[in-house]
Amino acid sequence: MYGRRASQLLKELSSNEKSQLTAFNTDMFGEVLKECNTHHLELQSLMRKIQEEGLDMQTTRNADHFGAVIHHLSLMRNKRCLMAYAYNRAEVIQSLRWMVGPVLPQEIQAKLNQSEKEYFKNHSAALEAYMSELDLDLTVDMVPPKDPYIRVRLLDDIGDDVVLDDQTHNFVRHSIHLLKRTDAEQYISQGLMEELSG
Amino acid sequence: MAQYYDIDDIVMEEEIVSVVFQVAANGVGLLDPSAETNSVAQGSKVELPFWLAQELHVRQAVAMNVLACFNQKTRKEVQADAACVDLRNRCPYFYELGCKIAPLVGDRTIGSFLLYTFSSRYKEVLSKAHSAAFVVAPKFLSILTKEEIHLYEAARSSMAAFKKWRVGGPRFERASILGRKRRPAD
Repeated sequence: MYGRRASQLLKELSSNEKSQLTAFNTDMFGEVLKECNTHHLELQSLMRKIQEEGLDMQTTRNADHFGAVIHHLSLMRNKRCLMAYAYNRAEVIQSLRWMVGPVLPQEIQAKLNQSEKEYFKNHSAALEAYMSELDLDLTVDMVPPKDPYIRVRLLDDIGDDVVLDDQTHNFVRHSIHLLKRTDAEQYISQGLMEELSG
Repeated sequence: MAQYYDIDDIVMEEEIVSVVFQVAANGVGLLDPSAETNSVAQGSKVELPFWLAQELHVRQAVAMNVLACFNQKTRKEVQADAACVDLRNRCPYFYELGCKIAPLVGDRTIGSFLLYTFSSRYKEVLSKAHSAAFVVAPKFLSILTKEEIHLYEAARSSMAAFKKWRVGGPRFERASILGRKRRPAD
């Protein structure tokens, strides 16, 4: 059936949890593109046939016309599916910059295709340029702060000579520190620290 | 056009509708499995995805039949006890598709039928969302349509957010994309 493959792409996308990514389905994407080309060829050959019969393209309503319409509609449908696939992935990729930071971990990198990596890099650069113009880090304090300092526990070794706020911290696993929340936020969202409450 | 990129909208339009071709169409033999040539003959009954059927219906090339999920049998079942009918099995996009199909097939009763179904199932969905234990939820969820599942999730998450706000707790969380909290194997 026409457009079946394209909608499978989107079903795959919608079965993911929100803001989770799977690897870019290059094979299926290519198949749909191929299907588009077939529709295009069929469409052209039907239109040629109408012209050869000496009929007016605008007003003819014969079997060839409706065949062409169906191919045209299928083409548009496939286009819409591919666009939606790329668009919805791009939305997630954009949000990665805000949630994870300018450098993506390896397992996420592997799920993006080349142009998506490019997109992430450019989005990140644009955001950074804007932030340096404002002289303000927009990605911190995504949750309104109650207290400028928070207590955190290390979930992994980061290093023993990390300098934050003119102080050297010994960030070894399981140690507990009192940090400025703006400094801690990036580590927490990367999963290296957790906030201790109470 | 606002919904151009909406995944649910696209997947919904993939639902199969049965139509009767009012005209012949060349070069699309794939649509009709019983066709001997590479074309669809006038008067042949074909199953099409909704996105194609809708456009062809507007061009008066096909006549659309009402979907099986809006037939008398379903209506009787819904009248008996709406909350227990397995709508997901019939059509996961029951309401959305119903809204789109009603003006096309010119059946005025579909609108009120949808409203009746929704309002009688609504109460059940919300009360289950707050009361059902997490273990029995999957069984109940399997009869809901997409729309109702969204409602159910919304009710649950607002309840969870309220509880979190009352109790307090860590406000920072690790980015959800990085997956569940899992200690890497040492």
